[in-house]
Amino acid sequence: MPKLVGEVLLLTASASDAWSAGVGNGATPLFSWPPPHRGLDWLQILPLVFAVPAAAVLLIGLVRGRLVPAVATAGIVFLPVAAYALGALLIMEDSKKVAFCGSCHVMTPIVSSLTGDGDSLAAVHYRRGLVSHEEACFVCHSGYGIWGTIDAKMAGVRHMLRTVAHDYTFPIHLAGPFDIGSCLNCHARAATFRAVVPHQDPDTQQALARGEMSCTGVCHPAGHPEEALKGPAS
Amino acid sequence: MIRLACLLVLIALVIVAFVAIDPSGPNAILFSFIGMPALGAGILLFGVKRWRDGALSENRKSA
Repeated sequence: MPKLVGEVLLLTASASDAWSAGVGNGATPLFSWPPPHRGLDWLQILPLVFAVPAAAVLLIGLVRGRLVPAVATAGIVFLPVAAYALGALLIMEDSKKVAFCGSCHVMTPIVSSLTGDGDSLAAVHYRRGLVSHEEACFVCHSGYGIWGTIDAKMAGVRHMLRTVAHDYTFPIHLAGPFDIGSCLNCHARAATFRAVVPHQDPDTQQALARGEMSCTGVCHPAGHPEEALKGPAS
Repeated sequence: MIRLACLLVLIALVIVAFVAIDPSGPNAILFSFIGMPALGAGILLFGVKRWRDGALSENRKSA
């Protein structure tokens, strides 16, 4: 029995820090960042925790055609609403990930272009590790601050509506001017950014602040390659 | 009516399970545009059933 406990503790200890465990295994922990998810992914499990008992109640209701009111209220209202609230939270969190954006065929070529050899602004940032590889789309397209996050979520709902209604044309384009707050959030305080003469020009600064001109297209390369915006068939 | 409510909410829960297992764009679309309306319709039907059964009055019946 003590041996079993010891083995369990050993397994727990080694699983608790998979990243550092990679050092001992001769793996390349510096290049396999981020480390594997530790423990259970509760945000994925919790909706199921509420959905499974609710489904059991609903199946009984479906077969029998009647339920005790308290059980029916729990199975039809409270448990499913809890499952949906947690599911919505999961989607809100996972929609920040590049893999989530790339899962819709319209965006797939754009996400693929990030890892290519292109000189688009997104690819350069991604390749040099200047943006998170997990949340690159969200970092640049969400805008700055909490309102940027809310705007990004609203834009996500519009994207879903357009996808369902097939209300889009290729090449796809950004709705409205790009929020340069995302760029300035990292660059504005950098000495190298401030040292560039065109960045010091008051007229250029005003035009950028008013959204009359963008960083990309004129001075800097386009955000994404032209071919990627033409859709998956291109 | 209770069977229809159960069926609608069950459809919604199957979609939640899809989302929990694979949180992706297509599943998020199912979640938002099929699952949520199905859940809302199911709860509404259940509410109507309970109201017709007199849940808000003195003479209550089982669901």
